Amino acid sequence: MKRNPAALFFVAAVVAAMLFVGFHAARRSGDGSSDSLDVAGKPAPDFTLQSLDGKNVQLSSYKGQAVLLNFWATWCGPCKIEMPWFVELQKEYGPQGLQIVGVAMDDASKEDITKFVKEMGVNYTILLGKEAVGQEYGGVNVLPTTFFIDRDGKIVAREFGLQSRSLFVDNIKKALSQGQAVQARK
Amino acid sequence: MKTQLVTVFVLFTALALGQSPGKKAPSVTLAPIDPVTVTRGKGAPVSLHFRVAPGFHINSNTPTSEFLIPTALKMDAPTDIALTRTSYPAGKDMSFPFAPDEPLNVYTGDFTVTMTVRPLHTVQAGKYAIHGDLKYQACDNAACYPPKHLPVEFEVKVLKGTTSGGKNPAQSPHAHR
Repeated sequence: MKRNPAALFFVAAVVAAMLFVGFHAARRSGDGSSDSLDVAGKPAPDFTLQSLDGKNVQLSSYKGQAVLLNFWATWCGPCKIEMPWFVELQKEYGPQGLQIVGVAMDDASKEDITKFVKEMGVNYTILLGKEAVGQEYGGVNVLPTTFFIDRDGKIVAREFGLQSRSLFVDNIKKALSQGQAVQARK
Repeated sequence: MKTQLVTVFVLFTALALGQSPGKKAPSVTLAPIDPVTVTRGKGAPVSLHFRVAPGFHINSNTPTSEFLIPTALKMDAPTDIALTRTSYPAGKDMSFPFAPDEPLNVYTGDFTVTMTVRPLHTVQAGKYAIHGDLKYQACDNAACYPPKHLPVEFEVKVLKGTTSGGKNPAQSPHAHR
């Protein structure tokens, strides 16, 4: 069979282009893996959401503290695995300036979310999510999605899907070590 | 040569997109539904064959927790065509890495929902479109995805039959076409 060098070159170029596109598409979409490089160093979009006790909470009010921002839902099984870890991590790293904030991306009622949170023994802040806030954070099409934000309000890392506890600890330490600390709130 | 190039292009497009680990969007698809022919006043079965994409699962119609979102069909039929006896298959109890001790009742792969179409005696003979959607919420082994609605549509051809029904044009279905 005769091989046309031009055609072979064309095929090689197409293959390279496809692999490039595939690789970058993979980096951008959520899938249960981390892709922290895409957002690292960017300011975390500010928002104000209502907490379960009816207070308005602004993300930027945590400036000076590291924030673990976790998007979750009551119908999300993997999210339930992380919650007890977050309870422990809030206890362990709270005194060093960590604030864990869970944003419930649920259609469930506030009462149902409150019931769920109580059953899970959550000791950190839970906010009632809004689609617009999810969009600010890239759409949040995968749950859980977790952002680690340093003391200056910059994103240190983002993780999609259920990850290992040790990865969370590493990212928390990174977030706590960056930016300027202010006295941790009670 | 042109054919070879097209083949290579298609293969590598698939490769490039498929390369992303776990990047496939969770999807449920519906097999084409043959038009249903039924005599007015009588019932005819309809089977809806759904397929959950490999690697994903969706909750069954009767999930194990009140917080889980059941897979449910919501149909919007014309006023005098009744859809009755909707029947969902039993889900499979499966354990997943994120909840090894709490089996979930789920659908994976193919599953079929059945129902009965029963035009009332008052329906005019003709073709009618039945619309609706399947609400589902998918997860894989490490993540979950927001609830989705899959459109469901099929055609019902109503025959007059032998029995004489009261003809009442005022009650003609809104989806008559």
